[in-house]
Amino acid sequence: MVVVTVIDRDTQSEVFAPTASAKSAQELWTELNAFYIAEAWLLDERKLHEWLDMFTEDLLYFMPRRKNVPSREADREIPPYGTDLPFFDEDRKMMLVRIQRMDSGMAWAEEPPSRTRHLVGNLVVQRVEEDGTVHAKTAFLCHRSHAEYDTALYSGYREDVLHPVDGTWKISRRTIVLDVNVVLDKNMAIFF
Amino acid sequence: MAGTKYEILDPETGWLDPSIYTDQEIYRREMTHIFGRAWLLIGHDSLIPNPGDFFHTYMGEDPVILSRGSDGSVNVLLNMCRHRGARLVRADDGNCNSFVCSYHAWTYGLDGELEYVPGEQEVYYGELDRSKLGLKRARVATYAGLVFATWAEDAPSLEDYLGDARWYLDMEFNRSGKGTYAVGPHKWIQPINWKTAVDNCSDWYHVPVSHASAANAMFRVLGEPRFTHDRLFQMKGRAAFVNGHQVQYFKMPEDSLAGQSKSIPTATAEDDTAEAVERLGEFRAKSVVLGTHSLFPNTVLGFRLAIPRGPLKTEFWHFALASNADTPEQQREVLRVHTARNGVTGHFEADDVDNWRQVSESGLSGTYRELGQRVNLGIGHTHTDDVFPGALSDRFVSENNHRHFYRRWEEFMNADSWADIPLDPQKATYEGTAGMNE
Ligand code: FES
Ligand SMILES: [Fe+2]
Repeated sequence: MVVVTVIDRDTQSEVFAPTASAKSAQELWTELNAFYIAEAWLLDERKLHEWLDMFTEDLLYFMPRRKNVPSREADREIPPYGTDLPFFDEDRKMMLVRIQRMDSGMAWAEEPPSRTRHLVGNLVVQRVEEDGTVHAKTAFLCHRSHAEYDTALYSGYREDVLHPVDGTWKISRRTIVLDVNVVLDKNMAIFF
Repeated sequence: MAGTKYEILDPETGWLDPSIYTDQEIYRREMTHIFGRAWLLIGHDSLIPNPGDFFHTYMGEDPVILSRGSDGSVNVLLNMCRHRGARLVRADDGNCNSFVCSYHAWTYGLDGELEYVPGEQEVYYGELDRSKLGLKRARVATYAGLVFATWAEDAPSLEDYLGDARWYLDMEFNRSGKGTYAVGPHKWIQPINWKTAVDNCSDWYHVPVSHASAANAMFRVLGEPRFTHDRLFQMKGRAAFVNGHQVQYFKMPEDSLAGQSKSIPTATAEDDTAEAVERLGEFRAKSVVLGTHSLFPNTVLGFRLAIPRGPLKTEFWHFALASNADTPEQQREVLRVHTARNGVTGHFEADDVDNWRQVSESGLSGTYRELGQRVNLGIGHTHTDDVFPGALSDRFVSENNHRHFYRRWEEFMNADSWADIPLDPQKATYEGTAGMNE
């Protein structure tokens, strides 16, 4: 059995030590991995309403900017929530606006729609709370091909807060951090 | 090229030459004749609040450092070492005492003075005149916290450059003595010519079409008003044109704002009227509401910059401006709306870029160059007024701005110096206490 042990950045404590009653680390890892793979297929198959159902009602979908700062000022690289102008700061209603507009056939940024491929991996379970809430981190590569010859390659990581609901998981908070300063894409109407 | 005269717009028919978007020679000339001369918006006071603060930004293709000196002064310095041209600043922003070149360590003060050169005595034989090798400085001036710079020694003052456009801009930028602060920006690369993003700023003709999906979804989910052709064609709203700048405005109470959703909202505090009246006078504070606006050459909608990166490449910077007079909750809401609608992820803006790109690329087609574009909407329908300054259009939907903007472009491109560039006469009466920087 693989025991995943990670040091929490904020608390500097060992953050995943499975208890007797909890799922084994391996089971949890396997289950979440399957969850994330299913999620990536929904995105790439443009099933965006089903994808949104993987989030809770009170979701927060957040993508901060990524700044160029000297290495000794690394704490300024990713502006914390509520302090800056992020790329995404969305609740469920705003996500619904973004997804509903795709249904119209007139969301020109995605009409005809992009061909995307999300590869999600490097899953690390960072922390499991008493009530089963899980903090997990994944890395991704996403290739976007649009119209005739436009392409963009996004790489980054995601930090999620997930809750066990009815035998599956729902994400209540997703933070997406891109590995880019100036975004090298004409617009960003795809999801991560 | 002395002697070249650009006539790219027919004022009678609205014919526009699409090669202005794609021609390399035109682009090179824009860099000297427009971006080398105009007052360019490059930053905001709030980005460099303390001595030693710097913010890295651009004047056209030129990377510049906006820095706050130890005496509080604002400096704009070309970010290229006087030795070989390496960059002094590589971070987006920060705080420091001096700028040290990472190539051979020539070291400059916050004001750009060359303070230290390694081996000055030993290998330069004591013969280097450091006093002549400071970083190239731009002229800098501010309006209501917005920082502008120009390379042109002979440019008029920023106040004259803005001219009567300021009479309108004050409604948003100068309403409160507490001022505004800038957050951001989003930065991304669009495959467009920079001019298409600027002229689009006043193009409400495209809104019911380009932004139908976002507006309809916002209607269904959030109860926001729809943008229909009918509504926009009936909507009362006006535009004023001064020195190549464009301001849309509403004249209250005639122009109903009912159902109006501003593209860039300011959550102005409800109880600001008393202060606004004191600062702007009774008439402006109560009768003039600012809509979308652009400043010649490349400022779009408040604080957004279309930074040229080649004929068919533009780096777009999207800041949000929030008012210090607002509550934290109002400020948060302003930033959230800025994030959602515009910028690289904006569900409005995302739908613009392919149009701008195709408009830009039409200049690549020899067949289309023969046809030319048509910016003739509302042609011949501007007028002047005793109270409202500038050339005025009283239709919300028009291409008066496109013609005004490209005529200004010709004036810059065909001028040998600022002496050849006309300024519209200033007629505005400024009531109230607000000035350029009070
Ligand atoms: S290039 Fe800057 S010190 Fe040589
Ligand atoms: Fe638009």
